[in-house]
Amino acid sequence: MNYSRYGEDGIRIIFGESIEAKVSESIRRYYFFLKASNLPGIIDIIPSFRSCLIHFDSRQTSSERLISYLKKSKEKVDKIEIPEPVTHEIPVQYGSEYGPDMEFVSSYSGLSQEEVIEIHTSKVYTVFAVGFMPGFPFMGTLDKRLYSPRLETPRVKVPKGSVGLAQLQTGIYPFESPGGWQIIGTTKVHLFNYRQEPYSLLKIGDRVKFLRE
Amino acid sequence: MIEILNPGWLSMVVDGGRYGYGDIGIPPSSALDHFAYASLNYLLGNSKGTPAMEVMGNGFSITFGTDLRCAITGAKVNAHRDDKPIQGWTPFEINRGAILRVKNVVEGFRYYVGFSGAMVLERVINSFSTNLDCRFGGYGGRPLIKGDRIDIKTVKAMDKRFIPAGLIPTMSPPHGLRIIEGAEKDFFTPESVKRFFEKKDHVYKVSSKSNKTGIRLEGEPVDFRKGVDKSIISEGILPGTVQIPGDGLPIITLYERTIGGYARLGTVAKVDHDRLAHLKPGDSVLFEMITLEEAESLWNRKMERDSFLYENHQGG
Repeated sequence: MNYSRYGEDGIRIIFGESIEAKVSESIRRYYFFLKASNLPGIIDIIPSFRSCLIHFDSRQTSSERLISYLKKSKEKVDKIEIPEPVTHEIPVQYGSEYGPDMEFVSSYSGLSQEEVIEIHTSKVYTVFAVGFMPGFPFMGTLDKRLYSPRLETPRVKVPKGSVGLAQLQTGIYPFESPGGWQIIGTTKVHLFNYRQEPYSLLKIGDRVKFLRE
Repeated sequence: MIEILNPGWLSMVVDGGRYGYGDIGIPPSSALDHFAYASLNYLLGNSKGTPAMEVMGNGFSITFGTDLRCAITGAKVNAHRDDKPIQGWTPFEINRGAILRVKNVVEGFRYYVGFSGAMVLERVINSFSTNLDCRFGGYGGRPLIKGDRIDIKTVKAMDKRFIPAGLIPTMSPPHGLRIIEGAEKDFFTPESVKRFFEKKDHVYKVSSKSNKTGIRLEGEPVDFRKGVDKSIISEGILPGTVQIPGDGLPIITLYERTIGGYARLGTVAKVDHDRLAHLKPGDSVLFEMITLEEAESLWNRKMERDSFLYENHQGG
């Protein structure tokens, strides 16, 4: 673990150099530890693939105070009880009007559309981070055969519920938005509801299995 | 009650921001000019999280269904109450049936309009700020349009307050922004980093493609070193981060994203964050690198200077 500063009011804790299940698990554990610690002056905690970013209020605490506390907390982090990740099944309509980039993904990978669907639904993915927009899950790791580059020119509008691929990740758009992922299908599942807690269906560490609808 | 007659170019409801949910990607969507926003509530005797309108452009006008005290902070504007000119950064009384009009913006970009009392709106996920991308918060998750009516829960007017003239910042270009180095500074050639921080006029211009998510700059691209991966594994970012996408043209992240995947050349020092609200297309921007320690001491000094705004100053 490596602590560094991010501007005046951020602390970046790095857990590894690449996208790995083990790194992600340590980050998740650390995130729950931070939440449970209820340290004064913490504004936000943003866990992601290989780091955890702490945004703090410099009027209430300081980077020195936080870093010195965190450096002494290894034992507490190891001991803390954390919830089991939730597994979600997400039905998807693949291809045709539901997946405008299915043809591209199929020809880029040299697989038939059937095979793309088969491979995409065969794995249980882990949510490595939630962000870009509220409730958007960055999930991996995709089977290497489905590796897809991002669109060269992002779309102005990607519909809500679109299921996409980007490099070795897969994700779902909770809202209509601009976007550059290759869209292979659409789900009717709502990923984000601002009226009701928990606002986001998916959280860091959760598992997702896509089902063909 | 107030009614929007003309929303200007774009106006929406904001507050100090929606914090605490960065782990599920909810961004702050806060007022961009925090000093102007906090000053507005201070001037009006409102408690500090009271929502305000953040407005861009000429022509903004509203009419009043009740007598209210009102103020405008942020960009310097040419505004009238019926046909009488009014002063920015100063509370004024406005009577039922009168019309407040902002003819044009004289200096700066965003201005803040507020009332003595709170607009009656729904608080969504702990905040009144509008998340325009996802259409929640503020006024039904959307910008204000002609005909929108908002009730005001008035508070008892108190003694008039003022903001010392020396504290009201200048907002005209060129905009000097002080930058703390970022995690991926070494992704770029030393020559192009040096060029980025040369304080020559017209090095960068604000692009018309800028929006509430980010300020895009046009000018000399920042060059990546040979062999460096141009994107990073996406990770948490903070407002004011200067990201460099593949084309080398900097983007200054504002308050609508929690995760980014571009290399970070630096972060705008917090002491200059409010200035970001006033970068308008075509303005020139000059960067200067400072150390984290310098940035911290500048920020601490500013916080001390402005502390009167952040104490609970509710009237009545």
